[in-house]
Amino acid sequence: MEEFAWIAFYLGVIAYSVAATLFFLDLARRDGSNVRAQWAPRLLALGGALHAVYVITASFLSHICPIDSLRFALSFSALIAVGAYLVLRERLRLFALGAFIAPIALTFLVGAQFVEKSSEAVLGVSRTLLMFHIAANVLGVGLFLIAGAAGSVYLVQEHRLRTKKRVVGGGSRLPPLDSLDLTAHRLLLAGFPLLTFGVVTGAVFTHQLTSFGSADFMRSFLGYATWLMLGAVLVLRKTAGFRGRKAAYGTIAGVLCMLIVMLIYAARASNGGSL
Amino acid sequence: MIVVVGLSHRTAPIAVREKLVLNADGLPDFLRALVQRPEVSEALLVSTCNRVELVAAGRPGQDLAHVAQACIDALAASAPGIAPHLYAHVGGAAVRHLFRVAASLDSMVLGEPQILGQVKDAYEVARKAGTVGSVLHRTLPRAIRAAKRVRTETAIGGGQVSVPSIAVDLTRDIFGDLSGHSALLVGSGEMAEAVARLLKVGGAKIVVVGRTLSRAEELASAVGGTARPWEELRQCVVEADVVVSSTSAPHYVIDFDMVSAARKSRRGRSQFFIDLAVPRDIDPRIDKLDGEFLYNIDDLSKVVSESLSTRSREATSAEAIVGREAEGYDRWADAEQATPTIVALRTRLTASLEEELGRSLRGKLKHLPPDDRAALAKMLESAVNRLLHQPTIRLRQAAIERSSDTLSLEQLSAAISELFSFDADAESVSAVENEPPEADAEGNLGLSLSLRARAASSRS
Repeated sequence: MEEFAWIAFYLGVIAYSVAATLFFLDLARRDGSNVRAQWAPRLLALGGALHAVYVITASFLSHICPIDSLRFALSFSALIAVGAYLVLRERLRLFALGAFIAPIALTFLVGAQFVEKSSEAVLGVSRTLLMFHIAANVLGVGLFLIAGAAGSVYLVQEHRLRTKKRVVGGGSRLPPLDSLDLTAHRLLLAGFPLLTFGVVTGAVFTHQLTSFGSADFMRSFLGYATWLMLGAVLVLRKTAGFRGRKAAYGTIAGVLCMLIVMLIYAARASNGGSL
Repeated sequence: MIVVVGLSHRTAPIAVREKLVLNADGLPDFLRALVQRPEVSEALLVSTCNRVELVAAGRPGQDLAHVAQACIDALAASAPGIAPHLYAHVGGAAVRHLFRVAASLDSMVLGEPQILGQVKDAYEVARKAGTVGSVLHRTLPRAIRAAKRVRTETAIGGGQVSVPSIAVDLTRDIFGDLSGHSALLVGSGEMAEAVARLLKVGGAKIVVVGRTLSRAEELASAVGGTARPWEELRQCVVEADVVVSSTSAPHYVIDFDMVSAARKSRRGRSQFFIDLAVPRDIDPRIDKLDGEFLYNIDDLSKVVSESLSTRSREATSAEAIVGREAEGYDRWADAEQATPTIVALRTRLTASLEEELGRSLRGKLKHLPPDDRAALAKMLESAVNRLLHQPTIRLRQAAIERSSDTLSLEQLSAAISELFSFDADAESVSAVENEPPEADAEGNLGLSLSLRARAASSRS
C-alpha cells in the first residue's frame, strides 16, 4: 500500500514535470502544431489525479487527516490550484497560465516532502476549529496561487503590449489582458472570505497561545498584511476602478506575503514545531 | 521531367495578368486541348490572383524545349499580348520552381497559406480532366509534401502581415473574445474600414462617427454598424472599448483630457486606441495611462515589418527544405530513366515464359489441376523477379550515379536492347510508361496478372 502511494507520488512528479515542460514549449513554439497545447493540460490533469491518489493514500496510511498535517495541507493547496485552473482554463482562455500552475504544483508536491508529516495540535486550542482554520487556508492558498499567477502573466502581457514588441508566432499565446484581470479578481473574491476566516481563527489561536515567539509575530503580521492587501485590491477595484496593472501588483504582493507565511509554517514544522 | 510556363506578379503587372483569366468551366477543355498537341502528354494549370502557370510533361523522347514552346503558344493564343511577360522553366529548374511556388516562397506575401490549396485544386481539376499522367502524379504530391514540410518545420507562416489584421490581433490580446465589446470608428479611410470589418466579423458592435453624418451613415451601413453625429464623439469614446481613428484633421481629434475623463467614467476598464491617421488623431500621452493602449500607424507598420522580416529569415530554412525535396525528386527522376529498359526487359522475359508455359499446359502438363497451375505461374513469376532484381538495381544505379568509371545507363540500355532485340517491343514499353504509378512499378503487377491469366485460359 505504501509502495502504491510512492508510485503515485513519483508518477505525479513526472506528469507535472512533463506538463510544465510542454506548457513552456508551447509558449515558445514557432510552428503551427498544437500537439503540445493539447497534451500539456491532459498531463497536468493526470498529475493532479496522481497527486490526489498520493495525498489520500499516504494520509490514510499515516492515519492523518490531510488538512491536519502541513505536509498534506501544502500538497492539497497545490492540488486545489490545479483543479481550479483546469476548470477555468477553457472558460476564461487561460491556456498559457498552465506554464505557471504546473511548476507551482510540482514545487508544492515535492517541497511538502521536506516538511514533517505529523504534527501535534497546540495545547488549549479547539481541534475542530483548528481543522476549519487549516481547511479554509488550504483552499484560499490554492485559489490565491492562481490569482498570483494570473497577475504575473498580466504584467508580462501588458509589458509586451506597452513596448509594442510582438513575438511573431508566439506572443499572442498569452491569455488576453481582460481574462487575466477578471480571473485574478474572481479568485480573490472567492478566496477572500476563506482568508478572512483563517485570519480571524488565527487571531483566536494566537490569543490562546502560551508562548509567542518572533516567528509567530512575523507569521501573524504577514497574515494580516496579506488580508489587508488583498482586501484593499478588492475594495479599491469596486470604489476607484482599481484594475489592471495596479490590481496585478497588489495581488502579487498579497500572494507573496501569503507564501512567506507558509514558508514560516513549513520551517517551523520541519524543525518539529507544531502547526 | 516537367516544364513550367506562365506569368506572375514578378514578370507581369496586374493589367497584363488580368488578361490571362481562364474561367473554371473552360479549364478542363483547355487542358485536354493542350495534351492533344504532339509535344505535350500531361498538363495542369495553377491560376491565382498573382500567377497563371502551366505545369506540363512531354511525350517520351520529346525535347522539353519543344514542350515549353507548345505551352507558351497555348497561353499566348488565349490572351494576346502576354507573350513578352511569359517565362519558362525546364527540367530541374521547373521542379524547383513548382516546389517553391507550392511552399509560398514565390508568393507576393511570403508564407501566405492560400497557394498550397490552389496548387491542390489545380491538381484535382487536371486529374478529373484526365490530363495528369505518371509524371505529374509523381511530381505534384512531392511538391505538396515539400510545402507541408515548409509550413510545419519553419515559422514562414507565423505572424500577421497586414495592418488591419495586426490591429485586430492586438485587440484580441487585450479583450479576447470581441463579442460584447464595442468599437468606435472615427472618420473614414480604407484601412480603418478594413479594421472595422474585421472587428465586426469578430463579433464587436461598430459605431461610426464622422464630421458629416451622411458619410458616417454610409460607412456604418457598409461595415454593419450604426452612425452617430460628431457632437457625440466624447460620449462615444466613453462607451467604446476599441477606438479606430482615421480622419484628415490637422490636430488631435481625441485628446488626453477626453480620454482621462472617459477613463474615470469607465472605472478603469481597458481601452485600445488605433490611430491610423497622419498627422495623428490621438494624443500619444494616452499610452502612458494605466489600462489605455495606443498604437499608431508606425507601431502597426513596425509589427508588420517584424513579421515580414521573421518570415524572410525563415525563408532560408524553407529554401533548404525545398532544395532537399527537389534533390530527392531529381534522384527519383534520374532513376526513372532506367524504367523503359527495365520494363522492356521484363516484358520480353514474361512474353517468352508465357509462351513456354502455355505450350506446356496444353501439352505434357495438361493434366495439372488448377492449384498446381497457379503454383507454377507463381513460381515462374518469382523466378523472373529474382532474375531481374540485380539488373534492375544496376540500371537504376547507372541512371543516378552517372560515373565515368562504370558503364553508363545509355551503354547498358543499348547492350540490353541489342541482346534482346527490343525495337519490336518499343510500343508496349511506351504504353506501360503512361500507366499510373501504382501499376507500373517494375511491372510486377502486370507480369503476375499476365501469367495467372495465361494459366487460367490454358486450363479452360
